[in-house]
Amino acid sequence: MTVGVLVFPGSNCDWDTVHALEDLKTECRTIWYTETDLRGLDRVILPGGFAYGDYLRSGALAAHAPVMAALERRVAETALPVLGICNGFQILCERGLLPGALRNNASGQFRCSLETVRVTAAHPLFPGLAAGTLLRLPIAHHEGSYTVPPGGLGALFEQQQVFLQYADADGVVQAYANPNGSVANIAGVSRGSVVGLMPHPERAMESYLGSADGRRLLSSWLEGGMRHGA
Amino acid sequence: MEPSAVGLTEAEYQTIADLLGRQPNDLELGLFGVLWSEHCSYKSSKTLLGWLPHEGPAVVQGPGENAGVVRLNDAWDIAFKVESHNHPSYVEPVQGAATGVGGIIRDIVAMGARPLALADSLRFGLDAASRHLLAGVVTGIGQYGNAIGIPTVTGEASFGHSYRKNPLVNVLCLGIRPTGRTIGAGGARPGDQLILLGQKTGRDGIHGASLLASQDFGAEAETMRPTVQVGDPFMGKLLMEATLAAVASGRLSAVQDLGAAGLTSSIAELCYRSGAGADLWLDRVPCRETGMTPYDIMLSETQERMLLVAAVGEVDDLRRLVDHFEIPFTVIGQVVATDRLTVWFHGERAAEVAPSYLAGACPRRPLAAELSTAVRQPVAADPSPIPLTFEPDWLLQVLAAPDCRDREAIYRQYDSTIQTNTTQGPGHDAAVLRVRGSAEGICLAVSGPGRWAARDAYAGGAGAVSRVIRQLATQAASPLGLTDGINAGNPDRPQEFRALAALLAGIADAARALDTPVTGGNVSLHNETDGEAIWPTAVIGGVGRHFRPLQPYRDAFLRVGERVYLINPDPAPNLGGSVLAGLLGNLGSYPRPDLPRDAACYRFLAEMLRAGIVTASRSVGDGGVLTAIARMAMDSPSRLGVRLFLPADGLGARGFGEGSGQVVVTVGDGERLEGDADRAGVRVLEMGIVVADAAVSLEAGHSYRWDISRLRRAWRGVPGEGEA
Amino acid sequence: MRYRIAVEVMLKPAILDPAGQATEGILQQMGFSAEDVRIGKRITVETEADSAAAAEIAGRQMAEKLLANPVMEDFSVSVVAL
Repeated sequence: MTVGVLVFPGSNCDWDTVHALEDLKTECRTIWYTETDLRGLDRVILPGGFAYGDYLRSGALAAHAPVMAALERRVAETALPVLGICNGFQILCERGLLPGALRNNASGQFRCSLETVRVTAAHPLFPGLAAGTLLRLPIAHHEGSYTVPPGGLGALFEQQQVFLQYADADGVVQAYANPNGSVANIAGVSRGSVVGLMPHPERAMESYLGSADGRRLLSSWLEGGMRHGA
Repeated sequence: MEPSAVGLTEAEYQTIADLLGRQPNDLELGLFGVLWSEHCSYKSSKTLLGWLPHEGPAVVQGPGENAGVVRLNDAWDIAFKVESHNHPSYVEPVQGAATGVGGIIRDIVAMGARPLALADSLRFGLDAASRHLLAGVVTGIGQYGNAIGIPTVTGEASFGHSYRKNPLVNVLCLGIRPTGRTIGAGGARPGDQLILLGQKTGRDGIHGASLLASQDFGAEAETMRPTVQVGDPFMGKLLMEATLAAVASGRLSAVQDLGAAGLTSSIAELCYRSGAGADLWLDRVPCRETGMTPYDIMLSETQERMLLVAAVGEVDDLRRLVDHFEIPFTVIGQVVATDRLTVWFHGERAAEVAPSYLAGACPRRPLAAELSTAVRQPVAADPSPIPLTFEPDWLLQVLAAPDCRDREAIYRQYDSTIQTNTTQGPGHDAAVLRVRGSAEGICLAVSGPGRWAARDAYAGGAGAVSRVIRQLATQAASPLGLTDGINAGNPDRPQEFRALAALLAGIADAARALDTPVTGGNVSLHNETDGEAIWPTAVIGGVGRHFRPLQPYRDAFLRVGERVYLINPDPAPNLGGSVLAGLLGNLGSYPRPDLPRDAACYRFLAEMLRAGIVTASRSVGDGGVLTAIARMAMDSPSRLGVRLFLPADGLGARGFGEGSGQVVVTVGDGERLEGDADRAGVRVLEMGIVVADAAVSLEAGHSYRWDISRLRRAWRGVPGEGEA
Repeated sequence: MRYRIAVEVMLKPAILDPAGQATEGILQQMGFSAEDVRIGKRITVETEADSAAAAEIAGRQMAEKLLANPVMEDFSVSVVAL
């Protein structure tokens, strides 16, 4: 299996992601934003960073990169599993591959911290991560406040598209455990084979880095599969 | 144009005319103006900097290059330096701080090293305007560091009225490069091409270095505002990757970043260090604005630019390599064998001067022969504040004091985990980084206690160095090198110059006694507004080799029953220079460190940590021994606390004095520690025991008890706790 | 009288606009003819004032004191009666 890691000008978690995949003994390749041929890739990660400096709106400029059109086609045609982390999540939302949008944190400040997230809806791409699973994962973002248009939240939950929510240490989704003002504490969402999350699993590969739960999340994603059209 | 318009004195102007054998034209005058400014020439401080020790077994590159370099192990060298961006941050806090971060990163990149970490040291006043400045500076540091993808792994902040109109923003950057890589500014050879890489040049920051950073502030600071520069971390990231790729290709002869005084400084330094000259074709420089004159282009401080130097035959390959990053790449000149820099503009000779005049001939301030001994003399006796009573609220007040308070509100705005090397981040004495593929890691500490230098700059300089080495010692790290960020007042005032000299003498003596060379740094003078100078502030950064970076040594109470000791207790504790003394309204002089005693303590501590005898440690610094203990208690697993036994006599000074060289430790085997200390000639003082009770309690004549939850509320600044 | 003040804040012409520069590149990549892209802010404020002129003066003061950063931004103020 080969995982493609998309790189935009200004991406800065690309090497952390590559290192994490190498730690998991997975073959991977960096894909520059101008590439339009994604054949030969079995999975794609959009890593974190500040693509195009996050100028205009986070992810807005990168969403128009040539590679994104190619990615969109592969998702539509072959249900290519795609994981967007932090800035990658923002890009996927701006491209319309995921519902909703990410706004400035409620504090108006960048925030770097270790948070607890709870798996809300189990997803076929993450075997072993049952609903209710708790993970300790780092966040580091300025625009991570997830939002949906009015009336959109119910549908998101009904369609099992809410993947992760920020929770307290006991796994209870509480207002005070919300680090950025996301609606309903949402930390990650999915649509079909596309999943996005604000926390950085690639930074949580070893307990000496603060948590090894990112290893668990990424290895699960590497094992998970979806039937075409699921 | 008048010499004063570019910041030169009449005497300096005459020296220039004598060197040239003619009157300089306006452009030439501008070039001398920036390069002979205090900021670029170090004319007041260079002779003093000669006092510092620069040699050591780990030193690969001492002062004189863009950054110092020390050897980590057979595979990696570490490049590191601290730099200030004080005046720009006062004028425009967000962009001033952001461009400061960008600048120090480029210094490290220019050494061919990949930046791994940033650290910040901030000094502000206590009024509302200062809080606003601090918020802007923290935003700016985060904005640049976070976006370019370099973690800010440690730092410190401190406060005082003298910083009210002269905030200090010092940022340290550390990078690694493979051993054997020697790229720098000294490798340009005749015939080499000068390639300008990065942002297009605009009229940003003209005279930022010569005027803004080299004169005191007064009302005219307002009118200097149009020179503000904007940082672009996105371009900075592309420039960093392009430069590192160009260095790694082996096709470059030299690299020099463009910082203060832009192209002028960059070209002059490059030529001077390479023993060469250059022809510069200014009309080829890509400009952002129309109608820019040679003067504008030479003096612009537009950020995110780098000068690459390569043989003619390498240029096309380099261009292909750099094209990937989609940033402007332009050949703007070439290196010549003679000591002359000729600036051409549309075929006209706009200026011609010797680079050695620009970069090497600025007259240095002469030193009085007795200065070196004079500044080492004890300062006039300042009554050492020794409190006769002990108030239990002092601990809460000290924890809640601006200099001691929890810094999470600051460091949470910095990405400290990107690059996945941070095994110990902010909130500790020192940061610890792993280096992928190496057993050895990096320990980094930064400290600049201005309060300790307020009355006795020598004590402050020595205390700063000793504190940084102490912080490295709490990780059993071997010190490899130091970088010094000197911040002081107007050197033309005898009192301020003397303070500067005393500060450097203290740094020099401590660096020698603690056997750690200074490999580079930065000097920022003229930190004065309306005649009020800052406390002389030496921001010292220390880099050490960590032997087990995946398991940083702990700094909390971990096991019930372990003994708590103070290693190297101050034999005559007093409150001089301490946080509590400041709160009580009589700051006093910081006691001068007993450097040989400190050195023995740090060696001993490192040995005890490595032998597993000391299980956790914390350096005594701001707030003294009780604050260090409270911090350990607050970081401990819940339900653990400490019971202390101390003599009632002198308890206030023992508990809150900040005398140098002290470390709080826990041990499983107290007798073993005492025996080993005895053999090493180090004094230790047993203070108490770790208990299953979430409080710090103290038996000292009376019984005192502080619940950890209450300590934590005071430390986090919860209103009503610890208010004096 | 009630007025809506609109304050438009733009970076001064000589100040580098990294966001505008990056956006310009993408617009061009998308096939648009796009040059000198500059990004600013528009801030609207509703206020009570005796006249449109007084509302404009108030808007100007708001801009000078808070809404714009005189170090690097210019602003313009417009007013409509509600």
